[in-house]
Amino acid sequence: MAGVSVAAEWQLLYNRYYRKPELYQMEWKQVDLTRNKIACAPFGGPIAVIRDDAKIVQLYAESALRKLRIFTSSGRLTAETVWRNPGGRLIGMSWTDDLTLACITQDGTVYSYNIHAELLGTFSLGKECFENSVVECLFWGNGVVCITEAFEILAVPDFKMPKTVKLADCSLEELPHCMAVIEPQYTKSGDVEVLLGVGDHVLLVDEDGVQPLADGIGPLQKMVLSRKGEFVASFTHDGRLLVMSSDFSKEFIDYTCESALPPDQLAWCGSDTVLLYWDDMLLMVGPYDEPVRYIYDDPVILIPECDGVRILSNTNMEFLHRVPDSTVSIFQIGSTSPPALLYDALEHFDRRSAKAVENLRLIRTSLPEAVESCIDAAGYEFDISQQRTLLRAASYGQTFSSHFRRDSIREMCQMLRVLNDVRHVDVGIPLSLQQYKLLTPSVLINRLINAHKHLLALRISEYLGLSQEVVIMHWTCTKISASTAIPDATLLQILLDKLKICKGISYAAVAAHADKSGRRKLAAMLVEHEPRSSKQIPLLLSIGEENSALVKATESGDTDLVYLVMFHIWKKARPLARDLFVKYARCYKHEFLKDFFLSTGQLQEVAYLLWKESWELAKDPRAKGSSLGPRIKLIEKASNLFAESKEHMFESKAAEEHAKLLRIQRELEVSTKQAIFLDSSVSDTIRTCIVLGNHRAANKVRAEFKVSDKRWYWLKCFALATIRDWDALEKFSKEKRPPIGYRPFVEACVDAGEKDEALKYVPKLSDPRERAEAYAKIGMAKEAADAASQSKDGELLGRLRQSFSQNAGGSSIFDTLRDRLTFQSLS
Amino acid sequence: MSQIPNLENAPINLTEIRTRAQTELLNILRDIKGDKCLVIDPKLSGALSLLVQSSELKENGAELRHLTAEPIQTERTKVVFLVRAQPDLMRFICSTIHNDTSKGLHREYYLYFVPRRLVSCENVLAEEKVRELLNIGEFSLYMLPLDEDVLSFELDLTEKECLVEGDETAFWNIAKAIHNLEFSCGVIPNVRAKGKGAARVADILTRMQTEEPVNTSNMGIPLPEINTLVLLDREVDMITPMLTQLTYEGLIDEFLGVKNGAVELDASIMGNQQEGKKAKVPLNSSDKLFRETRDLNFEVVVQVLRQKATSMKQDYTEISTTTQTVSELKDFVKKLNSLPEMTRHINLAQHLTTFTSKSIFAERLDMEQTLVEAQSYDICFDYIEELLCKQEPLEKVLRLLILFSITNSGLPKKHFDYLRRELLISYGPEHINTLDSLEKAGLLRKQDSRGNWLTIKRALQLLVEDTDTTNPNDISYVFSGYAPLSIRLVQHAIRSGWRSLEEILKLLPGPQLETKRGGFSSIPSYDTLPGSLNSSEKLANGRRDLVLVVFVGGVTFAEISALRFLSSQEGMAYDLIIGITKVVNGRTLIETFISDWDK
Repeated sequence: MAGVSVAAEWQLLYNRYYRKPELYQMEWKQVDLTRNKIACAPFGGPIAVIRDDAKIVQLYAESALRKLRIFTSSGRLTAETVWRNPGGRLIGMSWTDDLTLACITQDGTVYSYNIHAELLGTFSLGKECFENSVVECLFWGNGVVCITEAFEILAVPDFKMPKTVKLADCSLEELPHCMAVIEPQYTKSGDVEVLLGVGDHVLLVDEDGVQPLADGIGPLQKMVLSRKGEFVASFTHDGRLLVMSSDFSKEFIDYTCESALPPDQLAWCGSDTVLLYWDDMLLMVGPYDEPVRYIYDDPVILIPECDGVRILSNTNMEFLHRVPDSTVSIFQIGSTSPPALLYDALEHFDRRSAKAVENLRLIRTSLPEAVESCIDAAGYEFDISQQRTLLRAASYGQTFSSHFRRDSIREMCQMLRVLNDVRHVDVGIPLSLQQYKLLTPSVLINRLINAHKHLLALRISEYLGLSQEVVIMHWTCTKISASTAIPDATLLQILLDKLKICKGISYAAVAAHADKSGRRKLAAMLVEHEPRSSKQIPLLLSIGEENSALVKATESGDTDLVYLVMFHIWKKARPLARDLFVKYARCYKHEFLKDFFLSTGQLQEVAYLLWKESWELAKDPRAKGSSLGPRIKLIEKASNLFAESKEHMFESKAAEEHAKLLRIQRELEVSTKQAIFLDSSVSDTIRTCIVLGNHRAANKVRAEFKVSDKRWYWLKCFALATIRDWDALEKFSKEKRPPIGYRPFVEACVDAGEKDEALKYVPKLSDPRERAEAYAKIGMAKEAADAASQSKDGELLGRLRQSFSQNAGGSSIFDTLRDRLTFQSLS
Repeated sequence: MSQIPNLENAPINLTEIRTRAQTELLNILRDIKGDKCLVIDPKLSGALSLLVQSSELKENGAELRHLTAEPIQTERTKVVFLVRAQPDLMRFICSTIHNDTSKGLHREYYLYFVPRRLVSCENVLAEEKVRELLNIGEFSLYMLPLDEDVLSFELDLTEKECLVEGDETAFWNIAKAIHNLEFSCGVIPNVRAKGKGAARVADILTRMQTEEPVNTSNMGIPLPEINTLVLLDREVDMITPMLTQLTYEGLIDEFLGVKNGAVELDASIMGNQQEGKKAKVPLNSSDKLFRETRDLNFEVVVQVLRQKATSMKQDYTEISTTTQTVSELKDFVKKLNSLPEMTRHINLAQHLTTFTSKSIFAERLDMEQTLVEAQSYDICFDYIEELLCKQEPLEKVLRLLILFSITNSGLPKKHFDYLRRELLISYGPEHINTLDSLEKAGLLRKQDSRGNWLTIKRALQLLVEDTDTTNPNDISYVFSGYAPLSIRLVQHAIRSGWRSLEEILKLLPGPQLETKRGGFSSIPSYDTLPGSLNSSEKLANGRRDLVLVVFVGGVTFAEISALRFLSSQEGMAYDLIIGITKVVNGRTLIETFISDWDK
């Protein structure tokens, strides 16, 4: 059968097959794993190599200075730098989750490199390490645990926030035999926990305490935790491999090895087998049955992945993993499962053999599952032609199957295209499908960008329909940093060409980067292209383009931005102006505004402010009873300022009159000994005088302000009506013939509800229409009608009649309405 | 009945807008664990009452307080301020915090700005050194459904801010609200704007679209839900709000003041016996009878109520005298359910008639009519002069004075100065500030050109003789004979576009603007399709197009009623949604201009 050659390379462990296809022939030359310290990042990440200063090695034609070299997983050198860092021996080195290389030296200094071998920064683990050198360190995703010569245990839980925590003292007297870390994300407390093989037991150490575990298990030589921290694999002093739950309560595997010598490396392969590596042998132990042995002449390094282990040797890289069920069902020797028959059918079809139809007929009912298996199996293949064949088989089967999710093939093709691209030896990221899904496409794109594979990243994001913004943004920033020699205008054009690919990209962010890279002019040109004012303006300010910022802020219509610019300008340029502004904002005094209006020549505005100030003096409770002088002075100043321009003569005079009014009111308060005049209007002042019976004063105020007869009569009538001095009112009416008629008298009486008083004046109304309305107001319908008919005004008559009928009816309408609803109680 | 209106019949999904705001608010409260004291800007409490019941706030561990100048006294250790972004309010917050620190109290302070944080406010906090003590967030409430066809942008004081102080913050907020709406309804393809502020909003809106595009293809909205946006600046028509509204809802607002969809009055008026207690009556479309009557001329409302009562009485008589089938009884009981609504509105209407039956009311309406006719200058002048002499309430006088000034394109210099002086003599010299504000806003000014009011009035047919208020055929019924200028403009904008009106529009204040936005060249604008011909087709496919009418500045209930009337007309191809900054009437609008020296 077709699959024979495929399955021939598999090894059986109990009932499961394992295989280890070669991923790459390493491109590097003369890298000897034994001579070097090596750090390999999971998820097909880069490999960092540096000569191991703990070993005595012969130098060939090379400098005595060590070099830190960074390779892709395919062994291609991407960057190198000379290691000149002080701090003693390099104790450990590892890649963090975001592909930063953390290197720890003896004195506890952590050097961080990016994948371009550029030093990003350093920090110290603390003085404990400085005093007592670090002897050993153990890394996990984003952190590290170190042990010092004084047997202190220190941890950095997260490299992003370089803070060292000291774990509880476990009073060790010698170095532990072995050490393992339970990552914070898998512990109950959420803090890092460390397992130490000490004496014949294990200690569980965290920040708060030490807890002995597995008493009497015997000295453990090596220990490693499964990926999610639920199992621990350990190698005992008497040559046994133990797999237990990480709290050592349950035992799953107890396998006695041939050698009691502890293995050089101990690693989990996926989550169901454990690998042990001695000098030339790799042993794979599963829960049941005899282990699988692989012989290696060359040294190897095991790189655990989520679904297997990559095996790196001097010359190649392999991926040891379990053969997935779908692949087994197709390629297992002698398989007659539907997927195998489907695969076979394709072969017959290709050879134009009628047997293809026969095969299909055999599996007709389970065709969809067969198709699904072929698609699935294709996903696990690293070999492109194998992927293609499997997908073709799936596609062939799909044409005969009506109930099938047709997107499956398309989706798988899409993922494989991406995977094949990044697996290519030039890129060197050998991700398996499972790893890709776990890593997520966006992280993959970030890694590509980070490795300066911008074009590939862009194509992949476009292909997957992801936002291209991050790629373009990163490219642009990298380009700016790398193009110090290109003139601004040329570079701008290059950048704009690419930036326009991506709508809505933040030009401001690019400009900010340009500014940081010392290219202010380029920044200014870039920020011009930013459509979002809220991003553009802060940047314009930071690069000192205040004027332009102010113009843009005003255009945007967003007053908040205008304020932002103003505050910035004030803060920066003019300390005095700024102080005044702040003062204005703080106490709402007018000093600042006054200065402003003076400087812009708006004298009338200054005058208004002065006037207002005088008004506020009156409202200030502290000013009660104090002299009027300052207030009047302010008002007079205002009056003079108004007088500066012709258009404000009215205001000028009004201010003068206000000053005059205040003086008169003060006099009145003194003479009447009643503080009720100040700050009332002229009318109110007169009214108060009349109400107090001080008619002389009332007349005086009237004369001072040349109050018209009209106002005078209305005012006095109503004032007298308020105090119900009907005699005085009558006397007033007889003083002389009222120049504006008797209407004020009538209305004052009507308003006070004095019908009889009103009747004294109604007949004196000269206009019959007014008379008619007055009668109407006091409800004398007949008289009203008479007067109206006298006026010969038909319209008025009609209106009166209507209003009467409405009023009479008006109130009764609702009474009747309510009567009709009396059955309410029923509900 | 709840004060929170039912929005089921809204032409666009307003419930979603409200739910989003509700969730945002409740999440703010939930994210602050435990008991807390929620201090609310009093100006916001109305808006909040349209969003959530106060019991719901309490369920989330909040004790409610209003933000005032007095420091907050509370036992709670967490204090949450919910305020508009106004620098002067920051002072109140500072005083509470300073007061606590001086007493050695340590609390957690949270400050949520509505609708967004502003530099100017944060600067004040930094100056007072409390910025660090506050956890600052935003409650992005840019708009709020007031009713099923009305959206409110919840902005205060816009008239004065825009016209006198030149503060454009409100414009940005309106544009932001519309832009937010576009994220759920698609880019509105046609925009018409008239007036300075309206044109500015349109301008900012366009800018926002370029800054933060609403991507129609990704949102899966094939066509915009709203076809046209009509933006109308209040400054274009200051006549209408100065007139007394004669619709039911309008009159309630004129006499009793409607606040956030409810009116508060003495319980005794509503037939409750408790003296001195206040009763809050919700007024929105959830009340079926109100929905039916709110937009009618008040005269007609009285008739409608009478008819309903009569028919109910008749039903009752029949029930009690003749034998009925069960289903007939059922119908009757159903009708009985509307009794509380009936009683409520009969009480309200009767209360209103106590105002409208006064002769002074008729006199005032007469004078308004005379002013708008603008044929008898002297009568108007004398009347206003007399009002000034009698020291009638200032807002009332100003309403007429403003009408007088606008209809005459300002007053002759002599009368201008004379009336201004009379005003100062009556109401006090501090009102020089009121006069200044009004003059800057263009509401009361010196005559400098020939009047054009008569031309406008004639061209737009603003005065309609023989208006039938019972069966109206024109929007003029809302003012018993005067068609609100603003709504006439909207009517033209929707029916035939403004092109034919260009000459008239030029006579009104502010620029006008018509633009098309987005890539919707396929969508017809109304200019190319005459309304009547088009309307039958549009109606045939079952859904009417939507027009969003936004008033930049306040709007009166009467104007809203007129718009509803337009929308309900047969042959009208569009549903209308109304966006408002705030409901105003002449009194509330003028109050913002009245001298603040006393405050």
